[in-house]
Amino acid sequence: MEKLLKELQHADLQRQTRRHFLQSAGFGLGALGLGSLLGSCSSSSAESVGASDAANARIPQFLPKAKRVIYIHMAGAPSQLELFDYKPELLKYHGQDCPAEFLEGKKFAFIQGVPKMLGPQSKFAQYGQSGAWMSDYVPYLQTVADEITFLKAMHTDQFNHAPAQLLMHTGSARLGRPSLGAWSVYGLGSENQNLPGFIVLASGGQQPDAGKSVYGSGFLPSVYQGVQCRTGGDPVLYVSDPNGMNRDMRKQTIDAINEINRQTYEEVQDPEILTRISQYEMAFRMQMSVPEVMDVSKEPQFILDMYGVKPGEGTFAMNCLLARKLVENDVRFVQLFDWGWDGHGTSKDHNVEGGLRKKCRESDQPVAALIKDLKMRGLLEETLIIWGAEFGRTPMQENRNGLVMPFMGRDHHLDAFTMWMAGGGVKQGYSHGETDELGYYGVKNRVHVHDLQATILHLMGFNHEKFTYPFQGRNFRLTDTEGKVVKEIVA
Amino acid sequence: MFYTLLQASSWTIFIGRFHPALVHFPIGFLLLAALLEIGRRTGKVPVQESTIRFILFVSAVGATIACICGYLLSLGGGYDIELLDNHMWQGIGVAVFAWIAWLIKSERLGAKIPFSSVIYLPAFLLATVLTLTAGHDGGSLTHGQGYLTQYTPEPFRGLAGMPPIQEKADEIKPIANVQQALVYDDIVQPILQARCAQCHNANKQKGDLRVDQLALLLKGGEGGPALLPGKGSESDLIKRCLLDESDDDHMPPKGKPQLTPDQITLLSWWIDQGAPADKKVSELKTNEAVTPALASLSKGAAPGKPVKQESAIANVKVEPASEQAIASLRKAGLIVNTLSQDQNLIEVSAVNAPNFDDKQMELLKPVSTQIAWLKLGDTKITDAALEQIAKFPNLNKLHLEHTGISDKGVHALKGVKLLEYLNVVDTKVGDEGLRGIAGIKGLRSVYVWQSAVTDSAVSQVSRQNPGLSVVNGFTEAAVAAFLKAGDTTAIKPETKKL
Repeated sequence: MEKLLKELQHADLQRQTRRHFLQSAGFGLGALGLGSLLGSCSSSSAESVGASDAANARIPQFLPKAKRVIYIHMAGAPSQLELFDYKPELLKYHGQDCPAEFLEGKKFAFIQGVPKMLGPQSKFAQYGQSGAWMSDYVPYLQTVADEITFLKAMHTDQFNHAPAQLLMHTGSARLGRPSLGAWSVYGLGSENQNLPGFIVLASGGQQPDAGKSVYGSGFLPSVYQGVQCRTGGDPVLYVSDPNGMNRDMRKQTIDAINEINRQTYEEVQDPEILTRISQYEMAFRMQMSVPEVMDVSKEPQFILDMYGVKPGEGTFAMNCLLARKLVENDVRFVQLFDWGWDGHGTSKDHNVEGGLRKKCRESDQPVAALIKDLKMRGLLEETLIIWGAEFGRTPMQENRNGLVMPFMGRDHHLDAFTMWMAGGGVKQGYSHGETDELGYYGVKNRVHVHDLQATILHLMGFNHEKFTYPFQGRNFRLTDTEGKVVKEIVA
Repeated sequence: MFYTLLQASSWTIFIGRFHPALVHFPIGFLLLAALLEIGRRTGKVPVQESTIRFILFVSAVGATIACICGYLLSLGGGYDIELLDNHMWQGIGVAVFAWIAWLIKSERLGAKIPFSSVIYLPAFLLATVLTLTAGHDGGSLTHGQGYLTQYTPEPFRGLAGMPPIQEKADEIKPIANVQQALVYDDIVQPILQARCAQCHNANKQKGDLRVDQLALLLKGGEGGPALLPGKGSESDLIKRCLLDESDDDHMPPKGKPQLTPDQITLLSWWIDQGAPADKKVSELKTNEAVTPALASLSKGAAPGKPVKQESAIANVKVEPASEQAIASLRKAGLIVNTLSQDQNLIEVSAVNAPNFDDKQMELLKPVSTQIAWLKLGDTKITDAALEQIAKFPNLNKLHLEHTGISDKGVHALKGVKLLEYLNVVDTKVGDEGLRGIAGIKGLRSVYVWQSAVTDSAVSQVSRQNPGLSVVNGFTEAAVAAFLKAGDTTAIKPETKKL
């Protein structure tokens, strides 16, 4: 503690030296000249952004239907052919060579030569009033079939995990763009002043392949980036006070640091300093609010049972329960990542039979519980739930290196996969799009990743073509130059 | 003959496009010369003849250059021939008469021209009048006919005998008896008029195409015929509509209202049937695809336009809330966000103000017409606050969960006509309160979990109000049932032999 205070004193003194005076005087004059120059060029540029305050909202183009988002990303990509896209024809072709027309001019991540077709490994039936097709891998989701809109003919441009995840979350397969969550908070603002507007929870033992960029702020001020919370133990590391430090002293320290930062900002005008100031203040408030909101011990037992969680666990189920609590506290965007869905057939855990069944057993019940829980609290119709992955899986069995895999597995597939949405302004009990008889291509109502993003922004009230941020001389948008709102799924 | 003197090239077009800029010089100069001439003759303006002579010379030179540029511009094509012809001869007239007027005024040549004093004034007058008419026709060529007076306001509009301003005929009227409707006149033309004619009409022909007559559709434009009778899917008209919207060849261009899938089906079907001009629907063969599209023509909506359940406040517009009122709300810790552009409706949330109470309701009074979404969950408000809230005319969503409100307060909400969402989770509201608010016509969802509302009241109210969804929550028993429904541990994962 003493060290900290000393450092503070030192920093303060440093500011007052003659050299600093001269430096800032020189800087000041130069900046003055530059400022007037730049000012004359940029007088017509778009809005200036108050980076310090994430609570500032921009006005949506139309009435929002979804106020909050829970985005559930199954990193690695579960097989749509075992879960939602029922292809009885594929079973007939099981074990036969893949037709040449499926392979011509195509590239796969691992498939080589002529692979064999792989029939569905699960049992399908129709559920709900809407008659949604689902498999026995997801018995709990069957009970909420009539809340869901399926997108059965999704397609993407990327067949490797990291670029495909980037495309899905930031609209570009390359680094540097803001994520969907960052855009959402930039657009609608952050509501609960004690919690970040964009919170990330990960499970499954690993982070998504694309790393933190899938919830980054790209060229938006970094105040909009996702804040990852740990599920087990301290939700945010080092957020609690160390021994010997009380909350008052912590407050004084942060106030002093912020004062110095504010002076620096006045000197150099870097908006990132404002971000830093607001993050210090946020962190101080989070000391109180985060442990409270992340504590599930006060939840009634039957709610814990419904999700299938025990306090203290860091599982996907726990993250679903936390997502509900965060949304209940008006957090704008909650992003869940669950790793381990990459069913190539290479091992006991990574295949489309037992491995996928195991992942489903861990995630099916909490996801269904989340939908039910949000609904009874009156939150589902204002909260958009999105479930999906970065791509789908092939109707062919993977034959990595020309070998037969030890387990039934499928390779990455970009031409057809299934995603679903519920709540926040989408139709209840609806299925959009169809794939061909073998589930290889979308043949009706295909939806590209950019179309999905345009639709999500639309549900939040934004016209994706007008919702832009000026960067490096042009106005950028989440969907870049693509994207068409899928009006058919909007309730 | 005259039009083919030169071939259009990038040079001719480059020079030609200066025409609209250059024409303003002779117009200005000639009018100035005319004014000075009047001033000189009436003796009001002391001006030398040489000044007027000089201005006339500049006008004549300018008019000549403008004529040359105009001719080069016309080589690019795309203009109404008759109007263009008029404009050209008027323009040439301006130049010729300006030169004549100058010649007469000139010191050296003026004396040699017979009857010069008689000719001067008519020539000058003609040049001036032609400037005005040529200028008007030129404007019509550039902006379209009727551009100048399109927005003439009343009462001048009525005095001039002009029809009232027409809203664009973009929406298609329902057809009473589809079977007896003429396919081309009653179905095809209205679609083309609504979606294509804006750029392909008698006055403006992008890509040389006009869609207002069948013969002209068959003739087509730059890319050949717009339709091939009998071959719908091979016709340019259909192919362009089906192209991806981002494709440069897609029609209508990106950003303009697009044809619905049903409209494309109808056009394609009509072409498949040979694009007849005078057949009725009943005289042509229908197929599976076109039947629903035809059926949709009789419903009020445009073909294929889905009937959406719009929010009750979707079309509400109010005055913007005063900045001062919003500032005082924010000062009290409330979040105030504008819901959407143009409407000025606002959302107010007390998520950061857990101590908000009945007394602070006064703060909301100045914005009572603007509040559409109000979130007062987890605050200290009581029934007294609801009496105030009931006076918010545009209230659409109301969160009251985890507060001390009861039936008495909820009864006051009966008069809130636009209310669609009400959350009374974890309150003292009971059956009586639920029955009361169920009478609000547009109410869509009420959430009553952990309130005093009983299951029997929920099912009774739901039965009596089919449009209203009353959502009660889970009890331990319901959770047990849910867990059982999804429990597959008893079923062994099957290993399929394939």
